[in-house]
Amino acid sequence: MSILQQTLERTLANDDTFPTKFYQRLFAAHPELRALFTRSTPGAQNKMFAQKLTAIVDHLDDATWMKRELGTLAASHVSYGVTPEMYPWVGEALFGTLAEACGEAWTADAERAWREAYSSLVTAILG
Amino acid sequence: MEPDEVIDAALPWERVRRSRAPRVPHLVLAWSLDEPERVGEVLPIPRPTAIGRGGPLADDPFPRGALHQLRPGRAIAGPPITSARIGRQQLVVEPRGEEAVHVRSIGPARVRVAGKVVTEAVARLGDVIEIHNAAVFLVTSRAPQPASTTSLDFPYGAADPFGMIGESELAWRVRDAVAFAAATSRHVLILGESGAGKELAARAVHGLSKRRERTLIARNAATMPDALIDAELFGNVRNYPNPGMAERPGLIGEADGSTLFLDEIGDLPEKSQVHLLRVLDDGGEYSRLGEAVARRSSVRLVAATNRPLETLKRDFLARFTHRITLPGLAERREDVPLLLAAILRRTARENPQIAARFFERRTGEIAEPRLAPDLVIRLLGHPFTHHVRELERLVWLAIGTADADYIGLTADVERELSESAESSTDTSELDRDTLAKALADNERSPTKTAKALGLKNRYVLIRLLKKHGLSATESDS
Repeated sequence: MSILQQTLERTLANDDTFPTKFYQRLFAAHPELRALFTRSTPGAQNKMFAQKLTAIVDHLDDATWMKRELGTLAASHVSYGVTPEMYPWVGEALFGTLAEACGEAWTADAERAWREAYSSLVTAILG
Repeated sequence: MEPDEVIDAALPWERVRRSRAPRVPHLVLAWSLDEPERVGEVLPIPRPTAIGRGGPLADDPFPRGALHQLRPGRAIAGPPITSARIGRQQLVVEPRGEEAVHVRSIGPARVRVAGKVVTEAVARLGDVIEIHNAAVFLVTSRAPQPASTTSLDFPYGAADPFGMIGESELAWRVRDAVAFAAATSRHVLILGESGAGKELAARAVHGLSKRRERTLIARNAATMPDALIDAELFGNVRNYPNPGMAERPGLIGEADGSTLFLDEIGDLPEKSQVHLLRVLDDGGEYSRLGEAVARRSSVRLVAATNRPLETLKRDFLARFTHRITLPGLAERREDVPLLLAAILRRTARENPQIAARFFERRTGEIAEPRLAPDLVIRLLGHPFTHHVRELERLVWLAIGTADADYIGLTADVERELSESAESSTDTSELDRDTLAKALADNERSPTKTAKALGLKNRYVLIRLLKKHGLSATESDS
């Protein structure tokens, strides 16, 4: 398993509130983003976030899957009003929440792997 | 070589009679945080099996198991599990005989077996395997299923066209029995406890029969006043038996060419059972009250009772060619999550306020309920006495007493479950000798014997007697 899968699995197994904390961190830093998350209940949003994040981490080596899913993700994000400058905000909230949940397991290698993967993901989404 | 073996090889009916298909442990998905739409799907454990999120990995210790939509004669393997909180490699499950599995946790999520956090344990029939905040599996056992005789086709886990919900072996056995009975015009007796779905089964018999274009006539025999039963059943001419009475065709006349469903037939007095004998014969002959001429009705009677067969007169009982016994909910536990989901869906449809409070909303649409796994686990182990009706009541109690935005095991539901579980005796300890002695000690009275054994009612006793090849009546025992 990749270091991304290991850190994510450990985080989700150890902290039931990981998705909630992610959104709390994101909204604390950028309260204006709350307006984009009104179509689903927080519980559903949390599940969708954990599901999608896990699926992406599981399929990083599957180019066909990534192309198909990221295309859909990109289109839906545009329709929700997501703009390119928001992606780094989400990335920082994600790394911060992962670091807090992983504790000592959040090594320099883990952080580097997450940042690299996120960066290529955003590049793929924004085209 | 044993002589029997020669017979086995030569005669197919002997082979069928003597062979027994081995049963295989299965895990039924009873709750899922991320994939609630897959509840009811089944993971067979015929051999050591790896369970985890996603497709197979090169270093899986055993071939990876898949959730299936499993029906008689049909097994459709579903996509890999996607639940985020289930490890890529989470469990190794190995069969231990036909009704147990050995569970080993190899993943990051905590695993409980029968309520205890474990790294490995044996889970037996009816035990629950819980992957923390991700999934709940019920251990069941199934035989390889023959092709179904029904041609019903409806989405997996959903209500069938007649409203019955369940994908268990027993649910499909009932559907097969209903379809078999429906294909004939013979009278049908449906047996089952209160809340087990007798009226649904009766309507299904009618709905699958050639008579379905005609309206089903349904009446509860217990609600007919004794003095008017015959008039209700057979009808009457004008002014008979009392002046001023209008002419009535009676239920038998109304149901001519169709089906008459008489619920609680066990409450019909013996005299009325005798009166029905003639019309239940092939000629279908009867007379309206006050009329000398004989009429004919090609009525098909579907009767239901929750009472022991002994309450019906033998010759009346003999008119029912088909008997369909409906299992209690505790006998088909794996259907509880599907029924629960259906009840909750209906509740949300009918009550927007409940939907707003207890259901997730996804992109504006009402989606799955926020349902706590502890409630599902407790319901899976509950000895239901009033079956679907009881489940429905417990769901409403959980909703009505919820103090948060999810449907879970409130103190009131816990109390209700504990009280009704206490009042239902564990019958597994009652062996044949104990039952036989209790019968002898109580003048072979089912009522007295049931009471002496602390059983809920006579019906439970009758079922136990049947299981052990005993009968309350002297001649049959």
